[in-house]
Amino acid sequence: MNKLIIGLLGAALVATTVDAQAQKPKAKSKIPARPAAAATPAAPKESPPEGSAPRDFALPAKEEFTLDNSLKARLVPYGQVPKVTMMVAIQAGNVHEAANEVAVADLLAKLLQEGTASRSATQLAEQVARMGGTLSISAGLDQTTLWASCLSEYAPQLAALMADVVLHPALPASELPRLKTDLKRQMNLARSYPGTQARQKYSAAIYGSHPYGRPLPTDAQLDALTLEQVQSFYKNQFGGQRTSVYVAGRFDAPALRQAIGSAWKDFPQGPAPRIEIAKPLTKGDVLTLDRPSAPQSTIVVGLPAVDPSNPDFIRLRVMNSLLGGSFGSRITRNIREDKGYTYSPYSYVETHYRTGNWTENADVTTADTYNSLREIMSEVERLQKTPPTAEELQGIQNYEGGMFVLRNSTPGGIIGQLNTLDLHGLPETYLTEQVRNINAVTPQQVSETARKYMRPEAMTIVVVGDKKQIDPQLKKFQAERKKPL
Amino acid sequence: MRQLPELRHSLLWGPAVALALGACSQQATSVVTAPASPAAPMAATPAPAGPAFEIPVEYYTLPNGLRVVLSPDHTAPTATVAAYYAVGFRTEPRNRTGFAHLFEHLMFQGSQNLGKAEFIQLIQKNGGALNGSTRFDFTNYFEVVPSNKLETILWAEADRMRGLAINQGNLTNQQGVVKSEVRVNVLNQPYGGFPWLDMPQKANKNWNNAHNFYGDLKDLDAANLADTKAFFKTYYAPNNAVLAVVGDFEPAEAKAWVEKYYGNIPSATPPPKPDLTEPRQEQEQRFSKDDKLASKPALAFAYHMPERNTPEYYALIMLDQILLQGNDSRLYQALVQKRGYSDGVSGGINSDLGNQFNYNGPMLWMGSIIYDPSVQADSVVSVLDQEISRLAKTGIDQATLDLAMVKIRSAFYDQLSGSDNFGRADLLAAFALFDNDPARINRIEDEFRKVTPELMQKTIREYLRPGNRTIITVNPLAKS
Repeated sequence: MNKLIIGLLGAALVATTVDAQAQKPKAKSKIPARPAAAATPAAPKESPPEGSAPRDFALPAKEEFTLDNSLKARLVPYGQVPKVTMMVAIQAGNVHEAANEVAVADLLAKLLQEGTASRSATQLAEQVARMGGTLSISAGLDQTTLWASCLSEYAPQLAALMADVVLHPALPASELPRLKTDLKRQMNLARSYPGTQARQKYSAAIYGSHPYGRPLPTDAQLDALTLEQVQSFYKNQFGGQRTSVYVAGRFDAPALRQAIGSAWKDFPQGPAPRIEIAKPLTKGDVLTLDRPSAPQSTIVVGLPAVDPSNPDFIRLRVMNSLLGGSFGSRITRNIREDKGYTYSPYSYVETHYRTGNWTENADVTTADTYNSLREIMSEVERLQKTPPTAEELQGIQNYEGGMFVLRNSTPGGIIGQLNTLDLHGLPETYLTEQVRNINAVTPQQVSETARKYMRPEAMTIVVVGDKKQIDPQLKKFQAERKKPL
Repeated sequence: MRQLPELRHSLLWGPAVALALGACSQQATSVVTAPASPAAPMAATPAPAGPAFEIPVEYYTLPNGLRVVLSPDHTAPTATVAAYYAVGFRTEPRNRTGFAHLFEHLMFQGSQNLGKAEFIQLIQKNGGALNGSTRFDFTNYFEVVPSNKLETILWAEADRMRGLAINQGNLTNQQGVVKSEVRVNVLNQPYGGFPWLDMPQKANKNWNNAHNFYGDLKDLDAANLADTKAFFKTYYAPNNAVLAVVGDFEPAEAKAWVEKYYGNIPSATPPPKPDLTEPRQEQEQRFSKDDKLASKPALAFAYHMPERNTPEYYALIMLDQILLQGNDSRLYQALVQKRGYSDGVSGGINSDLGNQFNYNGPMLWMGSIIYDPSVQADSVVSVLDQEISRLAKTGIDQATLDLAMVKIRSAFYDQLSGSDNFGRADLLAAFALFDNDPARINRIEDEFRKVTPELMQKTIREYLRPGNRTIITVNPLAKS
């Protein structure tokens, strides 16, 4: 998925926008030839050329149908490259696990890769490969997903193969010890990363006993899982009513429709969709985890927020983008480009079904733990007090509009957007009117949103680092916390 | 997904995660390898090869030596600009490890018409995204914008090719940022730098290929403004660069803008060509690394690659597909599926820092695996030997070559698509920079079709011999 980026940011990106923005008329100066490596900028500065009027962007058209067992299929012809991407999303994940079967969804996802009634695991891998394909299966908090892609000419076979994996899994008992060993190792590794440690602590603090707040499964929990539990989770949580099949790319539509219809027709209707809605809490706690002599403090600071079904969500996203969620955002400019405390600060809204949370995340120089927290909070407070200028907001709106185009310009991105609609039960207008809604946000609304959702005194603060060095800094921070910074 | 860290990958910068270019689906690794047993026949007869897919390529050079590649693609209303300079971490000064990468950061700190942070703001407020990265043989800068803003970006990229305007404050600030980057990606992580940063230092003998290219912190601290001026002057001239433009634009219009903004940037004396040669390795080397943050042992192996663009090079890319790429690969099947040593084995050619095409010098084919203390490192090595010698003994039939080919083709298409068009721009720029021939992009498939079973055998014998490899094991010192 991603290559290591030794570079400016650490991730790839891209974007596009929708509205031409008002800019000053540009000076038509000639570019003087200058020696390379000018030591000092020369006045007067030239303005950038403005570009032309934006081109239209329309969401790609899609075709949808529902089978008798309520399974939904969405097909989106897109692009020029002879490949097709598919995703099967089943609303059955960690949130559906009982307390005595933690990680059963993960174990089932692994077992699904171990073959079907008519294909061994090795045959499955080979057949996918012969299509120029990939297949990966994973359990998430709310859904189990199967992602696959292949050369266009094999689309019907791949669709049928994915259905076979879900409908007729072998679930071989012989592989259980190996897969448990793998899960134990993966969880063990995950627990050794400061980023995971911090996020886990934060989620536990705000989601409590809800599955979203559960710690990663322990060896004992994994050892206790049985094949019977896996089989009954499969039987009780999987079914047509909870499943969507998404396809995007280049494919022969009639052949693919037919393949999907016949491959999935015997899938039972299964249970109705149901997710236990979490009620996140925050008490403004400061939590630490000792990582002796760590050269950095890993900070996660945040609080509950809203999800895409809430009318405030788009405002929250625009506010987030301006505050900490983009490279040009205020917090990033402050603690990275001005102070140099950190390389990769970023904030984002994590969404779940009918709930969400906002966090700012940064790995900062240990000695600057206090300073970083203070700067983060002061940026929040500044935004609460003073609306951004129309110009700054317009820049962010253009950025978010550009990102929307990018997100909807790859097969995987298109599928992700449609899955978001389905998971959250959102109307089509969530997508079709998104850019308009982004551009409708006013500077005053950004400040209002910051006041409504960003409460520095209530934020849960997690710091993973060298306790010896961070404790005094946190003490100082706490002592000032209730006062204006 | 549970939030598991991606081993060996840098932390994604937040907002990009949301985009992730649809990549949650596709692992960067292409698909992979070879049937150990006869595969069940496909339910349906395979269709003929997919629709022909030709990338438009227009290539020319300005009088000042700037090489320009234009490749229109009207799939989405976006345009991608990529500026590639022929300087990477192999060519940085000896007393300044990490300098090429530090300098990349400085390219965002101010030029004649754009002050600090203004370049980033300009791209973002125009609805675009950007990044830069430093690699073995190039440093790149790229932006993706709504296509109506292409001229704006071409102007901005030219502004910094013309010269930087940075002060000590900017330099000090970015030294801090880069040191934070090294801490987050290497020093404060289990398996930090393993194997992507460690292996070149152990497998190679020539300093250019074998130093810590992220930089020793003291070297990063020692950098001064005079270094940055000298570095820019030596390497950042139009005649040492390629400009690639991909996406939704009209070539005539783009050409006029390129001429207008880049045409009068003066060229410079070409930089010295460093000697990158590596001696033929005769003896296996083994190293062990203590890791106080890791709780499980790990092992990486690396073999020196054949020279780029030789017949053996293409054969080794196919061997990588057969042995290492995907769940059907020989090593995945042997180490994971059959023996349960781990849940995965990862690697490739120029892995973690690029791909099999975008480099220009000695390179390694590398793989790595994290396993439990109950498994011996020697057991992993003996499986590796068994799988390689099985290929050597039983030979490679046409069906196996065909499988490797279909995987290569499929992965290649992935690289050529994507809303940011970065993969396409990257290939075109690399082929222009290193081969003076970006149109190769449309002929690369043919090179793989020329590979014969005999050539595969010859390549295995010379390159996959134990004497040509380096092994690094991680000794975990953290409690489970």
